[in-house]
Amino acid sequence: MVDSNKWGMVVDIDRCTGCQGCVVACQSENNIPINLEEHFNQRRAIQWIRIERYWEGEYPDVKARFIPIMCQHCGSAPCEPVCPVYATYHNNEGLNVQVYNRCIGTRFCANGCPYHVRFFNFWEPEWPESLKNQLNPDVTVRSRGIMEKCSFCVQRIQRSTRESERDNEILEDGDRGLNPACVNACASNSLIFGNFNDPDSTVSKMKEDAMQEGGRGYRLMENLGTDTNVIYLRKVGESVVEAPHG
Amino acid sequence: MIPGDFQPQKPTGNQLAKLGVLGVVLLGIFIGIVLVLTFVISSWMGRPVIFGHDGPDQPIEFPHETHVEELGMDCTFCHRTVEKEAAASVPATGLCMTCHSSVGDDLEGITKMRSLYEDGRSIHWVRVHRVPDHVHFVHEAHIRYFSEKDGVEAKDVCATCHGDVASMDKVQQNRALKMGDCVNCHKQNNAPTDCVTCHY
Repeated sequence: MVDSNKWGMVVDIDRCTGCQGCVVACQSENNIPINLEEHFNQRRAIQWIRIERYWEGEYPDVKARFIPIMCQHCGSAPCEPVCPVYATYHNNEGLNVQVYNRCIGTRFCANGCPYHVRFFNFWEPEWPESLKNQLNPDVTVRSRGIMEKCSFCVQRIQRSTRESERDNEILEDGDRGLNPACVNACASNSLIFGNFNDPDSTVSKMKEDAMQEGGRGYRLMENLGTDTNVIYLRKVGESVVEAPHG
Repeated sequence: MIPGDFQPQKPTGNQLAKLGVLGVVLLGIFIGIVLVLTFVISSWMGRPVIFGHDGPDQPIEFPHETHVEELGMDCTFCHRTVEKEAAASVPATGLCMTCHSSVGDDLEGITKMRSLYEDGRSIHWVRVHRVPDHVHFVHEAHIRYFSEKDGVEAKDVCATCHGDVASMDKVQQNRALKMGDCVNCHKQNNAPTDCVTCHY
């Protein structure tokens, strides 16, 4: 057992099939309003996790490449120092936390974020009558005028830690529904969640393996020095090229 | 008469009317300020100072006194999930009917409850205790901590925040349940004060 947790994720690009299962799971777990076509057209759709698609090669030899992108929970986050009301801050478990009741909607953080994973609620969220009972009671419904973003499903982390404390057990990988909704939904195990401070966790081992010389690991926009808590593993195969995001 | 001497003048009818209007307007402003102040003080204290400070009216008068003090039932008998879940939960009418299918025939509330039970409907209790928006309060963790710390049973922990509900005829909120209150208690008990402990 480690003193403090440092939550993080490993994303294996090689396994991702671009099925959007994580996107749907996230939408329903976190009470994200339904994105209509006009929201996408205005670039105001809210997606805490999205699949970016890239084409590699020239027709007819093209290959589709998918990269799931969620909040990278940067260790040195560009969004945090710009908030005038401390609505976003780094907690001691490595999470970049958005505090909804502090947020006044200046949108400075969204401008600062190089990954485009912070979203502003331009409208009061609405659901059709038939979907009102599917809202998750453990997650706040964000009102108009505030920012939101991936929280690594902090409600699940809180519940799992609380339950493991209650039963005097050590919280391990995937115990008690610790995983975020996207990780649970991922059919190809492309997303792996865990505690980087625990040397025995799957993510720690994968990170160690991937980040060594010649490993597959990289961080998105590593040159910015954001020190993210999400590690990506690049494609395996003949045409190994660094994802165009890097 | 010395020129420039003060001469009291009788106000004309027009002036009187103007003064009257001014008086009414000032009185209106005064009442407005008092109402606003009452609202501000009420919200600061976390409960109303004039209207409804003795708790809201419930659809059925449920005397906690009778059930808890006279009959000696535990809080956890009805609020069943309080030791296991985030919410304390209010029981379904089926639980009431375990006794009240034969007890309390002549009481108005019981008749009402029985007819609701037969129709398969629930009682729409008015919520008394409410934490501010964006707060996720978990009963289970608090009950567990205090019962371990003080070495008491779960039912004796409730009064820490809810007051002596057992002797209340009509349940009312007796602690403001505002963030300062929460944070003070968390600090005293070395509980985490990270925002994300409650706000998510």
